[in-house]
Amino acid sequence: MSELSRDALLEIVRDVWERHDPVPEHLVAAMQAAAALADSDLDLELMELVERSTELVGARGSTSYTLRFVHGDTDLLLRIAVDNGRSRVDGWIVPPEPMTIRALPGERPDTHEAVVSESGRFALTDLPIGVLRLRLEPHDTARPAFATPAFEI
Amino acid sequence: MPSRQTGVEPDEPPARTNEPWAQATAAFNRWVAGDPAGLDDLVAVMTPVLWHVVRAYRLSETAAEDVIQNTWLALVRRRSAILDPVAVGGWLTTTARREAWRTSGSTAATPVEDDDLALALPRQGSAEDAVVQHDEGDRLWAAVDGLPERCRRLLRVVAFENRPDYRELATELGMPVGSIGPTRGRCLAKLRVALIEAGGI
Repeated sequence: MSELSRDALLEIVRDVWERHDPVPEHLVAAMQAAAALADSDLDLELMELVERSTELVGARGSTSYTLRFVHGDTDLLLRIAVDNGRSRVDGWIVPPEPMTIRALPGERPDTHEAVVSESGRFALTDLPIGVLRLRLEPHDTARPAFATPAFEI
Repeated sequence: MPSRQTGVEPDEPPARTNEPWAQATAAFNRWVAGDPAGLDDLVAVMTPVLWHVVRAYRLSETAAEDVIQNTWLALVRRRSAILDPVAVGGWLTTTARREAWRTSGSTAATPVEDDDLALALPRQGSAEDAVVQHDEGDRLWAAVDGLPERCRRLLRVVAFENRPDYRELATELGMPVGSIGPTRGRCLAKLRVALIEAGGI
């Protein structure tokens, strides 16, 4: 009975731990998402900033400014506004194209996202104040995603 | 491959643990060749291995998940540093182990104690255990769980890793490098005895 080989013993150890401290069910999917996001982020082509308005200071301390980015044939116009500590980004894609826009604050995936309307418009509200980038994911999967360089709210 | 310091036993990896390593290498190669599904597969194959290696360091579930996520982010960002695709599994477990060890040293052990207590609970009580543990799984668990902490950790890491780096393991366990092989042998012997005593085999 004591003929258990080293391999057999280690197999018992594996089985026992797999049963008593199993991998949490959500873990693989969560790690796949995190790795895929980091991966796609690395290869992202950046849009080029071609225009930037001077900052407009409005009444009651609100501020807004506009940015214009270009990538290939796609133009992206952004109006960034902060009013009473609340942020709002209005965007306009020319020519209009179905895509999902995601805000990437720093390295973390975040839930701020919007789908571009038929007229090419989208809006993101209540983004955290600070530095962020927008990631543009065309629904046409043959088109790779691209992103704006970092800008500040 | 580092040469074996001990010569106690030939270090052929157990057949079953070879599978994830070969799958990891294949998935890694597909990913590097431009197939994003390769990364998905690599994560699916290796995340369970990383879980068991990292949890051997008495980290809470949340801390363990952070360590594993950081390991994946490190892989994505430094994939060009992995010159030998065959080594990707070892690179992942080594990276995760380093971070787990660092984390386990820097965080208070309190939340982890709870985990360990919870894990240890089933083996408490004694006389009735023999009767209650009619299930073979319970007997096997009691034998593994009853090992000294150092053996529990060492065997869990060795069981899930293909070829752990003895030098680093020695540092983490506070043991001389040359004693890992013999210690592993003693831990396996203890387990063998515990299994026989428990009637688990």
